[in-house]
Amino acid sequence: MADAVVVDRAAAAPRHARSLSARGDIEWAGYALVAFFAVPFLIFNVGPVLFGIYVGFTEWGIIGSPQWIGLENYRTALADPWVRVAFVNVMKYALVIVPGVTVLGLLFALFVNQSWPLSAVSRTILFTPNVVSATVIGLIWVWVLDTQFGVLNHYLGLIGIGPIKWLTSVQWSLIGVSIASIWWDMGLAFVLFLAALQNVPRDLYEAADIDGAGRLAKLWHVVLPHIRPTISMVVTLQLISTMRIFSQVYVMTDGGPAGSSSSVIYYIYKTAVQQQRLGFASAVSILLFIAILILTIVQRFVLRETARG
Amino acid sequence: MAKKLEMNRRRFVGSAAATGLATVMPGRAAWAQSDMELVHWSWLAASDAEVWGKMIDAFNEAHKGKGLQIKMEVIPEEQYVTKVNAAAATGRAPDFGWGTAGVRAKMAADGVIVPLDDLADKAGLDIADFDAFAIKQARYPKYDNGLFMVPMDLMSLQPEVNTDHLKEAGYDPETFPGDGKTMLEWADKMTKRDGDTVTRSGIMMTGSGVQPTVTWGIVAAQMGFQRASEDLKEAAVNPEAGIAAMQYVLDLFDKWKVSTRDVTDRYKAFGTGQGSIFWTGPWTLNGYVDQGLPFRTYLFPNIGGTQKTYFEMGGMEFYKQQDESRYAATMEAVKWLSDNSFLWTTVGRGASPRKSILNRPDYKTAGHPWEIRGAFVDGMSFATEGEIPVLAGPDFTIYSGGNYLAKTLETVWAGLAKPEDVMAQIKDQWQRGLDAG
Repeated sequence: MADAVVVDRAAAAPRHARSLSARGDIEWAGYALVAFFAVPFLIFNVGPVLFGIYVGFTEWGIIGSPQWIGLENYRTALADPWVRVAFVNVMKYALVIVPGVTVLGLLFALFVNQSWPLSAVSRTILFTPNVVSATVIGLIWVWVLDTQFGVLNHYLGLIGIGPIKWLTSVQWSLIGVSIASIWWDMGLAFVLFLAALQNVPRDLYEAADIDGAGRLAKLWHVVLPHIRPTISMVVTLQLISTMRIFSQVYVMTDGGPAGSSSSVIYYIYKTAVQQQRLGFASAVSILLFIAILILTIVQRFVLRETARG
Repeated sequence: MAKKLEMNRRRFVGSAAATGLATVMPGRAAWAQSDMELVHWSWLAASDAEVWGKMIDAFNEAHKGKGLQIKMEVIPEEQYVTKVNAAAATGRAPDFGWGTAGVRAKMAADGVIVPLDDLADKAGLDIADFDAFAIKQARYPKYDNGLFMVPMDLMSLQPEVNTDHLKEAGYDPETFPGDGKTMLEWADKMTKRDGDTVTRSGIMMTGSGVQPTVTWGIVAAQMGFQRASEDLKEAAVNPEAGIAAMQYVLDLFDKWKVSTRDVTDRYKAFGTGQGSIFWTGPWTLNGYVDQGLPFRTYLFPNIGGTQKTYFEMGGMEFYKQQDESRYAATMEAVKWLSDNSFLWTTVGRGASPRKSILNRPDYKTAGHPWEIRGAFVDGMSFATEGEIPVLAGPDFTIYSGGNYLAKTLETVWAGLAKPEDVMAQIKDQWQRGLDAG
């Protein structure tokens, strides 16, 4: 039966195509509708990306034409210690921010999903930071994390900790920026997890109850397996977002001190916009794209393997 | 290969001829035959921006109905050059904008900024009325020694001091130390500490960015360090002095403990009383006066052997236009702004580069009180640490928080590198910059 359907469709498709070409009748309306998205996408996304790839092989400062220099920008980038620092930093950011956002987002989603008192208000509060601009978040956290007058150090001081130089020391600046980033990014992860939790079938919980499973057992054996695709998606999105971290760094530390909180996009911005080294900046952008691509593939592969296991 | 924006001598003669033709025609100038709106880009963002806005408003008011108006657009400073270049490359550059003398060699080489000698001459801008040093700074010797800027103000870095802190420490605000040793003693008395932690800086400093970089630059120059030799052939002359100056900055934090690395916003910190001595420029005056901060300004002390301080000159630069008739109108507007810059140089910022303004009897009594702006005028006599006029000039500037110099020095301030090693790196990089011309 299935084979028959396939044969019917296969036979029908050429007939339809033949009739179109025979009449010269093209569905322009379809193309026009697609064009609303496709044309701007080609002009504003694909075009600049291709141009950026080309510029990465040139020396160019906006004025005049790009001068082809082959792989020189890539050689310079790979030998540049500040590029290395920036890449190492985004890896560190990823190690802190991705687990932070994922775990906290999931915990808060679990809390709100219980429909306990205040959970409705919590839903709004927890998502709010995500709709505030990164600049505002950065400025707020500069005050919160101030070494001398910051509210965080004030409360840590009450329990005998600190003062911690969150934004002014090479040891802590990356952590300081990460705290602000987790607070900012967690809202989206929270909403995604909450939606996933609300899709876990009730009968699975009931079956687990009949089997005598406790809260932790239900979380481990029922909830987590069911929301694994969402976890994978949150980790992937957050990883990509963190590898491209910029606004918080720019506003809170300006990459310092001594590059300790710098990021790749921040470095690209500095070299492209402040120094007009567009070829070099494009080359670093391509390196970042390759790094994100590899990490994403590896991460998806690992999570898929875990799921199979 | 597309041509760069060329403004070679031949082309300039052509444009000057066109401009000249327009300006010598009988009756109204060509630009005045119909309404013209000049586009002016400014990156001023400190409290001086408000005063500059008044200058532009005054121009527009004075020229109402006369066919010439200025539209000002504010561009972030760090994006300024890129945006001007992008606009020039597409033939839509603004007519004129704010520049800093000595750091635009690349734009002069690319023809983005245009030489102004003939335009100034035709518009009747009295170059002889300008301070000779200012005019010299506005020229680029490598590009026909052309005048690429109409100077608007002369600025230097001088210490602003919180007078409440002075009195609290038992000092008379009428005087201030002229040497580094005594200034450190004063700073020490004004510093507040909680154990080993500095909670109020005697000398306002930040752990990274502009403040430690410019402090190093000034002290190094006082100790005999030269970023480039006079003939621009040798970089980092007398590197030992540069190393000693790095140690001086480190000692402010770690040995004398009169500064803290914990301050992130130096302007705000001084304005809120978190620091006592803050060397900065005249662009801060308007804001601190408006907020009622008790402070006075003094001359930068002699810390290293020869009294020197940072010099910066701001002015108007003209950008390449497809319609070259706009140059004459722009020069007309800039001439008016320069001729009427009394407000700008008594309230806005800096000393006037115009002798006729400096010699006015009310120059010292108008605007902000002399005790807070006088040092910025008198201190010009030893403000010699300006820009290095080469293509890689931005790498050399000591007043920067994000250029090559600042980022490299940050590794010293953070204790990640030794002054000797960093000095060697800087010398190498700068030498390459000088060799590139």
